[in-house]
Amino acid sequence: MSAPALHAAGLSVPGRLDAVSLDLGPGELVAMVGPNGAGKSTLIQALAGLLPAHGAIHWNGQSLSHIPAAERGRRLAWVGQEAHFEFAFPVREVVAQGRYAWGDDPTGVAEALAELDLTFLADRPATRLSGGERHRVALARALATQAPIQLWDEPVAQLDVRHALEVMRLARRRADGGGTVLVSLHDLRAAYRFDRVLVLDRGRLVGNGGPHEVLTADLIRQVFRVEATFVESLVPELPQD
Amino acid sequence: MRNRLAIPVLVALLVMAFLASLAFGELRLSFSQVVAALGGGSDDIARTVVRDFRLPRALVGMAAGAALGASGVVMQAFFRNPLASPGLLGVSSGGALGAVAVLALGPMLGFASATLWALPAASVLGAFGATGAVLMLAQRGAGTERLLLSGVALNALLGAGTSFLLTTTVGHFEVNAQILFWLMGGLESRSWEHVWMGVPAILAGCLLLLPLGRAMDLLSLGEHSAQSLGVDVRRLRRQLIALSTVLTALATATAGVIGFVGLVVPHILRLAFGPAHRRLLPHSMLGGAAFLLACDLVTRTFPIGLRLGVVTALVGGPFFLWLLRRPR
Repeated sequence: MSAPALHAAGLSVPGRLDAVSLDLGPGELVAMVGPNGAGKSTLIQALAGLLPAHGAIHWNGQSLSHIPAAERGRRLAWVGQEAHFEFAFPVREVVAQGRYAWGDDPTGVAEALAELDLTFLADRPATRLSGGERHRVALARALATQAPIQLWDEPVAQLDVRHALEVMRLARRRADGGGTVLVSLHDLRAAYRFDRVLVLDRGRLVGNGGPHEVLTADLIRQVFRVEATFVESLVPELPQD
Repeated sequence: MRNRLAIPVLVALLVMAFLASLAFGELRLSFSQVVAALGGGSDDIARTVVRDFRLPRALVGMAAGAALGASGVVMQAFFRNPLASPGLLGVSSGGALGAVAVLALGPMLGFASATLWALPAASVLGAFGATGAVLMLAQRGAGTERLLLSGVALNALLGAGTSFLLTTTVGHFEVNAQILFWLMGGLESRSWEHVWMGVPAILAGCLLLLPLGRAMDLLSLGEHSAQSLGVDVRRLRRQLIALSTVLTALATATAGVIGFVGLVVPHILRLAFGPAHRRLLPHSMLGGAAFLLACDLVTRTFPIGLRLGVVTALVGGPFFLWLLRRPR
């Protein structure tokens, strides 16, 4: 048994995260859900090594504190909830920043642009994009890193239905290719399509398992304080290609 | 295409401004006289004027302009804000207070004769002290917002100190005028001593900055994203603060307080030739040097008491406004 791609033990950030322990394996597509303020972004940032946190974090069995900055950039990609670009870099150059840790070798930049349907926007300044387009640029930059671990914080919240489905498909492909993908979401229905679901509530991990075991009406009532019923409904799908 | 023109155009502007700096003044020289004087030829007067007076003045001006241009780029990337300027963390105010303290208190303490070195030394000390204080106030590894607010507070505090010293010298016309002149920046009577105190270190600072351009691209689009993409953000931020402090401190120490260059030059060049820092840094160094020399020429051409810091704002402001109004 090889080491998990991502391992956290007793991860705490005062006031925001309370002793969270989890393991994410290679090839896993994992959703994280939880109410506003539950600590989803904090957990993702802590796992990515972007926040000072108590507890242990290992990437591929190696303690995070022993991994130098550039190596971190090659192993893990993070996409934040906010995608703001203050300076007018063309979209292509923003995506190419994903290659920084590889000495700016341009491999995969064109593919990443195409995967997020940005090829036609490649020369536009990133400051002149809509919110959804900016998120797609940030996702393309993360894909361009070709890092095996991908942590995406609410990547689809601002996307139209088609691009949201495309992003889910990209996430699935990454996992099928042996990568580890953790995605935070608000859409509980979308979470059902993942291999595993993490539920966060007030800084604590209160659910961790297959979507059908974890996302029960009881847990949803307890965490989100809403009644959930399971019914047939409209399900948009990408056409098969 | 446009990008490839940037360096040749900026170098041409700088060479023109440099030669004009050596040629124009009370004694108007031709360009052939200037070239001859630089090479050791020409008549004694022209040689003295060019080599002992105008050349050090031009070199100090170029270095100060390049330093302020580069430092502006650094601050704008650091704070991810195109409105940031070299003085944001109190470096210029600290430098000003140091220099003003020497000017105001020097005569009292009896070291006025040593002001050639005392003034720049006190200025550099004040500037470093200011940055040190900001870093301490903001604590290690603190966010940019806290750093920014600490800078604002410190700027106010240091400005108050300078104003206080200024008012204590109101009765002493000579000292008061010296302080006012210094606070508005200027390149007159710069000597080779000023060149040696400022130029080599500024050149070194600029050269050390150039390899950081690529990492600055990433930092300018977000601290977290830069770090996640493999930039050692803490280290980069320390390097940037240190280099920007040295550059601004030396520019202030050798040429007085000169506003606007660090804000307007990077901004204009970013609009003209793009935001990539590997190019924007050298562009702003060349552009800052040319701009400051051109402004110094204006102060010399219209000898009505215009100070350099006044001209930089007077020339830069309207041009900047015009640029912002242009449809992009």
